[in-house]
Amino acid sequence: MTENALILLIEDEPQMRRFLRVTLKSHGYRLVEAATGQEGLAQAATRNPDVVLLDLGLPDMDGLAVIDKLRGWSPVPVIVLSAREQEADKVRALDGGADDYLTKPFGAGELLARIRVALRHRAELQVEGGEPRFVLGNLLVDLEKRQVYLNEQEVHLTPIEYNLLTFLIKHAGKVVTHRQILQAVWGPPYANQTQYLRVYMAQLRRKLEADPARPRFLQNEPGVGYRLKIDGDRS
Amino acid sequence: MTLEGLDREVNSGAEQRQGVSEDPGTHLAAGRQDSAARPRDWALSIGSVALCTAASMVLSSHLTLVDLAMLYLLGIVVAASRTGRGPSLLATALSVASFDFFFVPPYYTFAVSEAKYVLTFAVMFVVYFITSSLTLRVREQSEASRQRERRTSALYNLSRELAQVRNFGRLCAIAVRHIGDLVSRRAAILVPDEKGDLHPAAAGPGLPAPDEKLLSTARRVFDQRKRAGSGAPDHQDAQPLYLPLVAATGTMGVIVVFADPPANRFPQEHIDLLQGLANQVAMALERAMLAEEAQQAQLKAEREALRSTLLSSVSHDLRTPLAAITGAATTLLQHDSLLDQPGRQELTRTVCEEAERLNRIIRNVLDMTRIESGALAVSKEWQSLEEIVGAVLHRLREKSGSRPFTVRIPPDLPLIPFDPLLMEQALTNLVENALKHTPDGTAVELSAAARENEVMVEIADRGAGIKPGDEERVFEKFVHGGGTTGGIGLGLTICRAIIQAHGGSIRAENRPGGGALFRFTLPLGGTPPQVEPEQEQPHDAQQDTNTAS
Repeated sequence: MTENALILLIEDEPQMRRFLRVTLKSHGYRLVEAATGQEGLAQAATRNPDVVLLDLGLPDMDGLAVIDKLRGWSPVPVIVLSAREQEADKVRALDGGADDYLTKPFGAGELLARIRVALRHRAELQVEGGEPRFVLGNLLVDLEKRQVYLNEQEVHLTPIEYNLLTFLIKHAGKVVTHRQILQAVWGPPYANQTQYLRVYMAQLRRKLEADPARPRFLQNEPGVGYRLKIDGDRS
Repeated sequence: MTLEGLDREVNSGAEQRQGVSEDPGTHLAAGRQDSAARPRDWALSIGSVALCTAASMVLSSHLTLVDLAMLYLLGIVVAASRTGRGPSLLATALSVASFDFFFVPPYYTFAVSEAKYVLTFAVMFVVYFITSSLTLRVREQSEASRQRERRTSALYNLSRELAQVRNFGRLCAIAVRHIGDLVSRRAAILVPDEKGDLHPAAAGPGLPAPDEKLLSTARRVFDQRKRAGSGAPDHQDAQPLYLPLVAATGTMGVIVVFADPPANRFPQEHIDLLQGLANQVAMALERAMLAEEAQQAQLKAEREALRSTLLSSVSHDLRTPLAAITGAATTLLQHDSLLDQPGRQELTRTVCEEAERLNRIIRNVLDMTRIESGALAVSKEWQSLEEIVGAVLHRLREKSGSRPFTVRIPPDLPLIPFDPLLMEQALTNLVENALKHTPDGTAVELSAAARENEVMVEIADRGAGIKPGDEERVFEKFVHGGGTTGGIGLGLTICRAIIQAHGGSIRAENRPGGGALFRFTLPLGGTPPQVEPEQEQPHDAQQDTNTAS
């Protein structure tokens, strides 16, 4: 289904639409375009897209409001396109239900990688459960036995480290915000206690990464959150 | 001076004091003089005459009539120096009458035996009257000079206090407080805002917000530079007094004073005092305004200078990559058939790289503008340096080429309070700078170490190094380090601004053996928030030092 997935692009800049149209169509995606938030919401309701690409700087309504409305009736993955000046909006959009983001200017490789991840998560939502084993390079996580192997050697993780890793695996390839991780792993009272995240991520890097200062899997997105990197695309 | 003239003088003096009496609750307490004579004054005047009469009775056998007349004169002087005009006049009349009644034959009757006594009485009356008037006048003058002194000292105190302040709002507050101490607490100063509308810059306690009528009167006073309201020539019944604050360059504002407690008029002396005060305040406000304008003008000039430098610099630096992009793209578009595959690749790569360069330049220009305009907001959070370095290296991994890039961050490096996005920017600029000035294949090293109250970070390369003497200059705006792939000469300036905004410092030096070293510090500033340890101790920690290429 991936190659014929339907993408809804909500973006007011014609040049951006042209670039995305050519790129996405050449990769076999079907595309619906909308220049305003209202139009985008209408298209989302009637065409039932597989992925939504949403520009945060729309002329008619706030991108955050579009996500809010959309989430009222649809779990469709949303990737927000934001400018560098919209860092705070980006995090709000992610906490408010967006699945991922791309900061303009971005390359085609990055865009396609995000779309692939979004489509895969959408597919996993439809098929309950998922793989009992997660393999990423020389890292293997047995989710049933709760065991982690690196280069076929078992690595001992504390319960929190393990929960942290499995939360990232659950969202593999996608960015997850500090708040989302803290709420899921430590619980809602810890939503702003980012120091926990810093300490435990450092521990996890030391156990799983060959070079903790240049992690291959556990990627940091400054000011936003973390991403478990899964494919070789540039991102 | 004729008697008539004297009388007028005395009368006008009395009228002035009369004015004060209409406003008994004023705050110039020492200046209050109740010249509507109190019963005590009348008693004093009658008493002094009675005392003179009694003394004269006792002494009449030893004294001549002339001596007795002198005794009465003494009583008149005493009465005039202690009481007001009415009681003095009464004392004068009573003295002449008593003298006639008791000591001029026939005794105990107002009838006189000889005609010459009539002249005596007339002369006596005139002499007594003049004496008492003169005495009164001396008193009034000393009273007036005391008042002048008080006013001068009040104005002096005000001007001394005003001289120490440059802030518009605080100047107004000081003026209102002084008006409160001297005349009425119910005072306000209205000054024009940017749009020219008057609004209160300072107001006494409990004063209601100005209504439409007050504002329109104030507007008129402001425009016409004439005082209005109570005591003004054109007004009788208006409650507040409006005084324009007139300075050399224009009207600064309007003082509005309500009589406290409410009264129809202000006494002249208050109006004079307020007028003097208004002049002082106007001058102080003008001075503050001019100083503010001068400062604004200087800031504006600096901003303009930066803007024009940015513009000239940007227009050149933007054109170079744009020219490359346009050239490459038009070739691809128009002469595609003439290109072989490597040529096409080459041109496409040019477009990508130059677009990336444009992006970097624009990012730096925007950052610089934000820094220069003071809009650089640092939101610190306890962060891991390792993570930020990881993100920076990830972003720059393609530019690093085949340089051996060593990172040495001790695993026990404490969390540091910094703004993750700004620090990512600062580190990106430093690493980009190192990559830019070193040929592919040369080693770059990044290391960090915790010291007592700070963390020190070093980025070292083996490039050409810094021209001796330029170690400080490299951080200045628009200073290019040389080389052709250079940007706009803002990267290190931004880097320094970010480090300084975090309370740290940055230096550049040449390394022994060649190459440049940039070293910056970040203060640790307090202890990071506690992280409760997990029941189970983590283990399997890996090597702290990792080298990869």
